[in-house]
Amino acid sequence: MSSRRSRSRRSSNSSRITEEQIVELVSKLQDLLPEARSRSSERVSASRVLQDTCNYIRDLQQEVDDLSERLADMLATTDMTSAQAAIIRSLLM
Amino acid sequence: MHVTKEFKKKTFLKQFLLGLHVSNSISNPISIEQRKNSIKLSADLAMAFARGRTHWTHALITKLGQKEENKSTLKGILGRRYQILMARYSCPLLYQKVQRRKKGVRSYRFSYNAQKRRSALKGSCVRVSPSVVARNLENRRSKVLKRLVPGGELLKGSSLLSEVLDYVISLKAQVDMMKSLWRATQVSSSSNVELIPKCSIAKEGSFLHYSK
Repeated sequence: MSSRRSRSRRSSNSSRITEEQIVELVSKLQDLLPEARSRSSERVSASRVLQDTCNYIRDLQQEVDDLSERLADMLATTDMTSAQAAIIRSLLM
Repeated sequence: MHVTKEFKKKTFLKQFLLGLHVSNSISNPISIEQRKNSIKLSADLAMAFARGRTHWTHALITKLGQKEENKSTLKGILGRRYQILMARYSCPLLYQKVQRRKKGVRSYRFSYNAQKRRSALKGSCVRVSPSVVARNLENRRSKVLKRLVPGGELLKGSSLLSEVLDYVISLKAQVDMMKSLWRATQVSSSSNVELIPKCSIAKEGSFLHYSK
């Protein structure tokens, strides 16, 4: 019994030490999210930020999927080497 | 932690274009689905290489290397480096750690619920500190995050959050790069190649200077 109490005390101590870190990280995440522009920085809770982050990650991964599909279509229909040469020239120069 | 994404542009592009080239050249009668998967693989690999050595990049490359259908594309992209990299990124310890952690989470939750039940029976208010309650809610959300972020299963607390932050930044950069690449191919295919404005791509690329 005493070990459990001391364990919870120890873990709450460590969470107090890193709580500022967590708050800072959460606020940075909040800034990254697309909804950040419409909301003031104080009103959003940490769990809401985590929820939004999950949705945002899923959206981004879906976008990668869509873009891969579009690029795959494009590769199938056009000659890659000329497009590739154009891209390389414009992006890396 | 001050990390800029300046280097990521060129590394990502080089790696991704190489991957696209390989995706295009392997066995011509290939389904759109397979081509799409190999392009996605190139994009993820390029993102991981561009970011450098972090926990999630390690986990991502390990995951990519273990799938059977990826092996031929990976061999094409990495060439001679394939053997070396696959040896480095095949870590069985990853899964052992996950099993051990799962047991730990279960026992923590059990003790928390038991504590709550005991206090409820006594008729007093729940003797659980609000930080524990908040942490439990965060744990539930974190579980979903852990599944989304490669390698997230092994982390918790602030390290998980910083990995998530890093991963989101890289994902956003990957999406932006792929979008600008896509737009560049659209312009080049529809009109004269010389008309691609260099400045527009460079301007979009400058948005990628994310710093932590």
